[in-house]
This record gives sequence, structure tokens and C-alpha cells, in this order.
Amino acid sequence: MEEEIAVRFSNVAFSYPEGDGAPALRGINFTVRRGEFLSVIGHNGSGKSTLARLVNGLLVASEGEISVFGMNPADDKAAREIRKRVGIVFQNPDNQMVASIVEDDVAFGPENICVPREEISKRIDWALEAVGMSEFRHSTPTRLSGGQKQRIAIAGVLAVKPDILILDESTAMLDPRGRREVTDVVSRLNREEGITIILITHFMEEALLADRTIVLNRGEIALSGTPEEIFGNGELLETFNLSLPRITAISRGLRAAGMDVKDVLRPEQLAAEIERNFAKSGKIPCKNPPFLPPAEPAGGEWDIDINHLSFTYSRKSPFATRALNDVTLRIAEGEFFGVIGHTGSGKSTLIQHLNALIKLPQAQKHYKKPKAKKGKPAPVVSGIRVGRFDLSDRKCPFRELRASVGMVFQYPEYQLFAESVFEDVAFALKNFKKDLSREETERYVRESIEVVGLNYEEVKDKSPFDLSGGQKRRVAIAGVIVAKPEILVLDEPAAGLDPAGKREIMSLLHRLHGDWCKTVVIVSHDMDEVAENCTRAAVISDGKLWACGHPAQLFSRADELVALGLDVPLTAKISALLNKSGIEINSDLTAEDFTRKTIEIYGGAPDA
Amino acid sequence: MLNDVTFGQYYPVNSFTHKSDPRIKLLALIAYIVALFLAKNFYSLALCFIVLSLGIIFSRVPLLKVLRSIKAILVIMIFTAVLNLLFHGGQNLLWQWWKIKIYLEGVIFTIFFSLRLLFLVMGSALLTLTTTPVALTDGVESLLKPLTWIRFPVRALALIMSIALRFIPTLIDETNRIISAQKARGSDFESGNIFKRIKAVIPVLIPLLISAFRRAEELGDAMDARCYTGSNKRTKYKKLKFGWRDLLIFLLFASLIAGVVLLNIYAYDIYPEIYVYIRLR
Repeated sequence: MEEEIAVRFSNVAFSYPEGDGAPALRGINFTVRRGEFLSVIGHNGSGKSTLARLVNGLLVASEGEISVFGMNPADDKAAREIRKRVGIVFQNPDNQMVASIVEDDVAFGPENICVPREEISKRIDWALEAVGMSEFRHSTPTRLSGGQKQRIAIAGVLAVKPDILILDESTAMLDPRGRREVTDVVSRLNREEGITIILITHFMEEALLADRTIVLNRGEIALSGTPEEIFGNGELLETFNLSLPRITAISRGLRAAGMDVKDVLRPEQLAAEIERNFAKSGKIPCKNPPFLPPAEPAGGEWDIDINHLSFTYSRKSPFATRALNDVTLRIAEGEFFGVIGHTGSGKSTLIQHLNALIKLPQAQKHYKKPKAKKGKPAPVVSGIRVGRFDLSDRKCPFRELRASVGMVFQYPEYQLFAESVFEDVAFALKNFKKDLSREETERYVRESIEVVGLNYEEVKDKSPFDLSGGQKRRVAIAGVIVAKPEILVLDEPAAGLDPAGKREIMSLLHRLHGDWCKTVVIVSHDMDEVAENCTRAAVISDGKLWACGHPAQLFSRADELVALGLDVPLTAKISALLNKSGIEINSDLTAEDFTRKTIEIYGGAPDA
Repeated sequence: MLNDVTFGQYYPVNSFTHKSDPRIKLLALIAYIVALFLAKNFYSLALCFIVLSLGIIFSRVPLLKVLRSIKAILVIMIFTAVLNLLFHGGQNLLWQWWKIKIYLEGVIFTIFFSLRLLFLVMGSALLTLTTTPVALTDGVESLLKPLTWIRFPVRALALIMSIALRFIPTLIDETNRIISAQKARGSDFESGNIFKRIKAVIPVLIPLLISAFRRAEELGDAMDARCYTGSNKRTKYKKLKFGWRDLLIFLLFASLIAGVVLLNIYAYDIYPEIYVYIRLR
């Protein structure tokens, strides 16, 4: 009979040799049964990835004992056997693929373990089928979406026929659709193929899919139990740098107001809980006054006006792809504006137009005015105005524009380059404000490092590469805002951070908004983030502007958004469910307002 | 914007030339180059040209695309042509100015030489236009296979090539992203003198290098996790197959070499042709 225990850690500790001596993991004890679905959560740097690498011998424990199907991964020979039975899918799908054609990449693992050719072909069939990617067998991975690439990476691991599949934050870089694709595949593999899953993640909804959850905190197992037990214990989670799940925050708010609501984990359950309360007090059907979105902002000197913007990559080549199609949009001064859309929807192309990183055709050197053809309407010309800058003008002072429109790219820490934090942050200043005195430069740099929440004296002489992930991102943001832009544009500022890190970045942006920059524009995949923070948002789908308005207006069209491959915030999900049972709660979809409005209808009225 | 579109010259259509085996195409190109260098007169050069034309016609690649490949070596071509024209000696002086003498032999030699170079480049371009880099790698790997006998790491070499090809588009994307990010922070890549421009590249190069190392490390882990051990003992999934197309190509190029050799023997050398020309005058 095969062993029932798949993985066992007894008293395991690990320290990185190049680290500061503090162990990355210590006193780790846990077992994973065959066929189990385990999720591992923990803040950035809590040791989650180290754990994954210990299982298959990519790292070797400094203390304690690890046993994988009775074998010790510290032994080289055993590690080879273990790797046949334990597959790992890593975070970045791009960095796991060796071949330029899907089937060749999937074949890599089986080739390594000398599977005969005919059998490899069968395994490719099976693995691609299991992840739902059979039709892409002959495609090029670089042309696929993030979710598709990650499914190919899973197929590549599956082709070795492992018993255990470890996902090391494999969904962190994906959009909601990609995440759903991957988690669906993983759940099905566990259910149907009986593959043991260890899912390492930041997302609570994903951790919930598991039978059991382990919480890591500073290299130790802080909690372990069913997801219900773990996430029911909100306060404790918060102390581990993981946020209180929004849903728990809502149910607590409701309970504080006297409603009988249990802590639950899924929107359907919370909706049912609320409904039960309403039914008991005979309040169905009921509704509150419809939510009135604030009037469109009046705007000011620094409005952004985008008119009929279209853009095609690699024009006049067989690979031409239309990224934007007739987008007309206005972002007023003082807004906290959200741009939503799945990967490849054109939202990054859109924001890169705002500071002329992508120039309008009229502003380029060899522009020829399109001739109006007889019988056809005159061609529509794209136009953008940002404040006083007319981006369609070839003589537009583009450098001044870029100083006024700060742009923080996705994973901005990857653009750090200088020897010290000070030099890196001062880079934009030296480019934009050449005649600044040394004292002034220092003052600017100090202010911007402090506003992003770092200690100036402590970090200024450090190499940016010695900082932690979250600190690097702050330095990168400081390096943009140091030029005091009027408008700050950020592409997924919170991507890849743990819940606490996300919250800190968002509060940083609120701190910047108003005092430091007039307008903030963020691109985001996280619908809750948009609902909680943005004054208005635009949904871009397949290069077209699908809708623009207050988040509450956008997210009321939940079904359509899901069909577009996007998601809706938790509050919108609950509202939609309650609506079906005759309880119409209209709120601005922030957790706070939703809770308040629910309480109001339930019994906040003076007579109740 | 640079992207994987501009990388490689592969022209995606479905044709006879595209569908034939990359190994036979590689061998054919070698045979073709040998034939070009064996060619001693315009008759054999014409034969090479006929074969080249067949290749182009059956590839369905627009002629302009093939010709565009000359751009890269145009300067060298003109340079060598001018040198040949000026310094090739001979007996039939055509034109003289000061110390510069141009002979009829020089003119003929220059034409011959330029045509040979032109055909060579067009033929090589045809291979890269009709064969994906991946197929080319497979072809090279398969042709080098005998070298495993002397313990040459053919599989590892092929894997390196495959990974390099795989990461070119990724790194180009990354470069674009970093360039954009630094432009947004005021970097100026378009103006200033050469030193300023070189200096402007540093903020792009360093993050790019760091990122490449990070990717390499992650890829290494992923490969380890997928049971790669670096040994030559691996099975190979992809097998190249010879088909009827490849047989045809083989016959065509075999006859090309035979034809060139025969023409070299039975037709005039390029210089005796000059005397034919003179005698006719």
C-alpha cells in the first residue's frame, strides 16, 4: 500500500546563507495527507516560497527532517525521485518556459525523465486537456494571456505525472479571469485526478478552496486549521499582517448593530444570513432610496480630455493588433480615477498616451494627414489634452508634460538602478529640474521619501537592491512623485503585495492625492480596491470604453462584467444576491457604506 | 514599439518551401553556397539563379521581402564592388582618369562577384524567411547529432538556443517597459551628444541586467523542479520527418551541383568570355 502521508515536516528550520542570519523558517511541523488540498497564506517574506522549495530539494533544510513519500529531499538521488512526484508552478509564467511552442514546452519534463516518445505525445494530450488548453498545442506562449500561460506551465508540470502539485503564488500576476482559470483547473485536478495540492497564495478567496489552511508568520506556523476556523479569527489574522477579510468586517459591523449574523466566508452565505434576519423581522420586501452618484466633477485646470483615441500596434504588418478603438474619456482635476480591464484590454496603452510615452500620430515626425475619401465620412482624428498640453501638437513640450504627469509602471521596483536610494529618487529631479540647487534637491528627495513612509536618514545611502520588496516599491514611487507631478498615474500599484502591503499602498495614494498631486489615476484588477477608493472608474474591454462612471453604477452590472472576464466587488455580489430575494440595498459599494445602509433599512429607523 | 514581431524574419505563409524539413533546407543552403563558389562562369551562375528563383516562387514570399534582406550588406557590397572595379587589372582598358584605370576584365569580374554575393544573401534570407527559428534550431540539433559520439553536448546546446529564442521577445518587452518607465522619469534617449546618449542607456541597462539574472535564476529553479539534470540522457519528443518535398529538394540541389560542375568543365571561364566579346567586335 502507498503511504498515506505525502509530506511531513518535523521541526524544520532554514536560513539563507546570504541573509542576516535570521532564519527564514523555524520550528515547522506539519503533514500533508495524500489527496489533500492545503493552502498556505502569510505576509510577504513569511517563508512561504522557502517552504515550497524545501519540499522538492531546491533548498535544503538547515535543521529538522523532511519526508516526502518517505524520502528525504536533502539527498540528491532522492531529490530526483521526489521531483518526479512533486511539481511546482512558480509565480511568473514567463520564467518557467523553455520552448517557444506550447507542446515543446510541455514535453520538457517528460523528456528529462526519459519517457518514450509515443508516451510523451499521450502525456501532452492529457496534460493540455486537463488544463483546457488543447487547442493551443502549436501556439507560441508569448502570445497567450497570463492565465493561459500559467495553465501551460501547470500542464508542463502535470506531464511529469506528479502526485503533488505546489503552486507558489502562481496567481499573483494574473487578472481576475486568469486567476479564476487557474484556480478552477487546480480544484478540478484535486477532485478528479486526486492530486495533492499545496496552494500558496495571498488571496483569501483562493485559500478558501482548500480543505486546510496554514498561516505562516515570520517563518513560523502561526495558525493551522480549516479555512473557516482560520478566517473566522479575523483579529488574529490582522496581527499576522494579513487583513481582516472584508466580508468579516461587514458581518461584524452588522452584528454590532444588533443583527444576528454569523462570521461567514462566502458572499452567498452572508447574503443568506442577512436575508434570514430580514425575514425574521418581516421586512421583505424593502428598499432604500437609490444611490445617487455625486455629480460629475466640475473639473479645473488639469483635466484630462481624451477624444476618439484609437491605436494599433505594428500597423501595416501581418501582426497588427488594435489596442484601442475610439475611446473618449474625461478625467477631471481632483479625481481618484480607476481604470479597469482584463490583461490585453488596452488599458496600459491608454495610460501610456497620457504622458506621450506613446505619441499620437499627429505628434510624430513623419505624420501625413489622412486624405478624406470620396463618399466616406472624414477619418476621425484622435486627440488628447492634458491640462494646458495639447498632445496632438508636434511642438508640445513633451518633457514638461512628463514632469506634470507622473507615471508609475507595474512592478516599478524593477526599474531601480542607482547605487543609492537618494540617487535613484533624485534621478527624475535631475532630468526635469536641471537648475535646482543641491539643498533644494535634497529637500525634495527627503520630502518624497518621507511621504511614502520611509525613514530618510535610514535609507538614503542604502542600495535600493538591499531593501525589502515593499520598500523597493515605495522608493520607486518616491522616484516618480519627486518631480511633483500634477497628475499621478499608476499601473497596478498594489500588484503582488500581501493584504497589509496593499492597504498601505492605497493609504499612501490617498495621502498623496490632494496634498501632493491633484489627480490620481490607477489601473487595477482588484475590484474591491476600485470600489473602496475611486471616485469614478472606466471599464476598458477589447480596446473600447465599455462604461465610465461611479463604481456603484459600474458594478451594478455584475453579470455583464463577469462575462467580460472581470469581477465585481464583494459588496456588489451581496447586493445582487439580496436583490433577488427582494431586499434592495443601494449603497456606494464601499464596505462601510454597505454596512451602514443595511443597518438603516433593518432597523436604524427611529421607531425600531 | 519593438516586440516579437520585428524579431526574426519569418514570413508566415503556408507554402512548399515552408513545409519542407528544416534539415534539408539547411543542407540545400549549404549545397547552394558550394555551387555558387564553384561557379566559374555566367552559365553556372544562371543555373544557381534558376534554382533560387524556384525557391522564391514556391515559397510565396514577396520578392520585395527577399530583396530587403540585402539592405544589411548593401554597404559591403558596394564597397567591394568599387574596390574590384578600381583595382582589378586586365588588358582591355576602358576608361582612365589620372591614376585610375578601369579594365573590361574588372567590370566583368565586378558584375560576376556582385551577382554571386547577391544570390548568396538572397538564398540565406530565403531560409530564415521560410523557417521559424525554432524549426531551425531543431534542424541544427538534428544535423549536429553525430557529434554526440565525441561527447559534444548537442542537446544542451540546442536547449540553450531554444531558451535564448524563447526569451528574446520577453526581454524585448522588458526593455521597452524599462525605457518607458525611465522616459516617464525624464530620461532623454533622443537628443544630446554621443556621451549623453550612452549615459542615458545606463538606467535601462542596469535594471535589464538585474532582471535577466532574476529570470535566469527563476528559470533555473523551474527547470530543476521539472527534473532537468543537464545530462545528455533525455528523450526527444519532436522528430523531423523527411517527405516527398524533401526528396524533390534533394534531387534539385544534387542536379544543381552536377550542373555547375559540368558547366565549369564544358563552358568558358569568365575571362575567356571577354575574348569572345572582343573577337566579335
